[in-house]
Amino acid sequence: MNTLEHLLQGFGVALAPVNLLLGLIGSFIGTVVGMLPGLGPINGVAILMPLAFALKLPPESALILLTAVYIGCEFGGRISSILINVPGDAGAIMTAVDGYPMAVKGQAGVALSISAWSSFIGSFVAFIGIVIAAPWLAQWALAFGPAEYFALMCFAFACITGLMGDAPMKAVLAAVLGLSLSTVGLDSNSGVYRFTFDSVHLSDGIQFVAVVIGLFSVSEILLMLEQHLGQVPAIRALGRNMFNRAELALTWWGTVRSSVLGFFVGVLPGAGATIASAMAYTMEKRLTDTEGTFGKGDIRGVAAPEAANNSSANGSFVPMLTLGVPGSGTTAVMVGALSLYNITPGPALFTQQPGLVWGLIASMAVCNVLLLIMNIPMIGLFTRMLALPNWILVPGILAISAVGVYAIHATTFDLVLMVALGVVGYLLRKAGVPMAPLILGFVLGDMMEQNLRRALSITNGELSILWGSPIAIGLWVGVTAMLLVPPLYRRFGRRSPVAVAAA
Amino acid sequence: MADRILGLLCLALAVAMAWAAHGYAAEISYEPVGPRAFPTLLAAVLGLAGLWMAVRPGRAAVADAHGGAEKAPWLPLALTVGAMLAYALLFQWLGFVLATALMTVPVGRCFGGRPLPLLATGLSLGLGLFFLFDKLFDVILPTGVLSFVLGGR
Repeated sequence: MNTLEHLLQGFGVALAPVNLLLGLIGSFIGTVVGMLPGLGPINGVAILMPLAFALKLPPESALILLTAVYIGCEFGGRISSILINVPGDAGAIMTAVDGYPMAVKGQAGVALSISAWSSFIGSFVAFIGIVIAAPWLAQWALAFGPAEYFALMCFAFACITGLMGDAPMKAVLAAVLGLSLSTVGLDSNSGVYRFTFDSVHLSDGIQFVAVVIGLFSVSEILLMLEQHLGQVPAIRALGRNMFNRAELALTWWGTVRSSVLGFFVGVLPGAGATIASAMAYTMEKRLTDTEGTFGKGDIRGVAAPEAANNSSANGSFVPMLTLGVPGSGTTAVMVGALSLYNITPGPALFTQQPGLVWGLIASMAVCNVLLLIMNIPMIGLFTRMLALPNWILVPGILAISAVGVYAIHATTFDLVLMVALGVVGYLLRKAGVPMAPLILGFVLGDMMEQNLRRALSITNGELSILWGSPIAIGLWVGVTAMLLVPPLYRRFGRRSPVAVAAA
Repeated sequence: MADRILGLLCLALAVAMAWAAHGYAAEISYEPVGPRAFPTLLAAVLGLAGLWMAVRPGRAAVADAHGGAEKAPWLPLALTVGAMLAYALLFQWLGFVLATALMTVPVGRCFGGRPLPLLATGLSLGLGLFFLFDKLFDVILPTGVLSFVLGGR
């Protein structure tokens, strides 16, 4: 079967009534979660993942729900950037730079609608990119053996630490901590219990949901304690709702350029939406800002980062689906969601479960259309929700998080673990340790160890197999480049957009 | 300073890990790499990274994506953590509805809510989410001491 037939099959899955409804619900929840400052896609996906599992949704439906939430978050983040000058999620930081000044000038409605439109174009470009690139990459990835997989995972870590900006050593720490957490429990190869301290609750390993919710939701709540005093009232006057034809023409090529850029950044493991939007903004400023209006409410500065932000979020599905190696925190959580269903993503999935893979890809396009419809005419509904006070929101988040953690094993131990990890996560974040490498390490740990052991079993312990093929050598060169180039560039070059994004 | 403490803690953790992993050996081994190698490798990397942090700390730590707050609000922080911990411990025994109502009051207080509205919010959160998940979605939640009203165990 060719790609087109697969895609049609995927649309059959995505447009089935239940999945369409889940896409709609997910898009709505995603927009709200993305909009609320402090809650990003990773929190939304982490909180809904155990619930989707507990609701006994089939895997493709659960994935469609989570995908909708993820894409919805990237749409929603812009709303609070524009209206209260606080990005709703990390990818929307650059949108506030020109979005908020536009809102102050009374053009909030235009800023919201043009950014919804450019988000739509960004997602759409990424969708085309995925349809073209994914089957091709999956085909290529079938040639990967355990040694190549081990090198690939090292490459993913190198990307996420090299691009992390200020503190690469802290990113290394985070990744190793995550990997270490994953070794807790029964070692299936040898039957040895590792780091369990004779606890029954740990013999099966540390529960993934408790880790994600603890590190992201609980620690986020503790961080929110520091900021709730400084809440800015939202701008109420939206002005004209729809952008006009001149504004569309003015932003069109910037949107397209940023979408393409965002897709490629998104495909690269470790980079992601924050870096993509910062790069797009910098690029547009260099290319088109002749009158120095960027930063003072230029509509082009609103459209470009939003397009890049969305296309990179969609693009980050490519490494996860085709290689089975997630490139971002959110897709890492999705891999964890699949593992609840005993499904390991990777190239084989394209042939074994085409309905699942293509259903997911098609649902991106479907949700994108739903989100555009939701985000232009119904924007008033969302802006009103920004008025929800934190003293209602935070207990609600905590209660739903607890339901999710409890739903998996129904033990008090997991709930206490969630709180304990939340406190640890809070302290680590206060110390400047990034959480994305940690969760990536936790998700990849088992796969990384298994592939290392399998590779070394082939040669009976001879290490040379790890760099024994052209693909593996290429990946190691990539690892070295990723670890060496960004710090050297920071030392000798101008302050790069990547560093700005990470700062 | 925070970086140095972080580094030393990681170094200590690495030593503990290496020490614990030292004893991990398979009784019958089928493969050249046993259960000990990977944790030991991780401990080595963790130890080196920790040592680096302790010797060469970076600039003042900044909380990710939030910008640093000069000083952590200790009292609300302790109160929230305590309330969360109590919530986790009482979740099964007290039941979801009451535990949620009880957690909402101190946590909401730290976020600027007033007692009576918080109590109302807590009860409606507890009851609303209970009916949504337990009754409608079939995600089983503990009923605890209210089991005679809400049914279940």
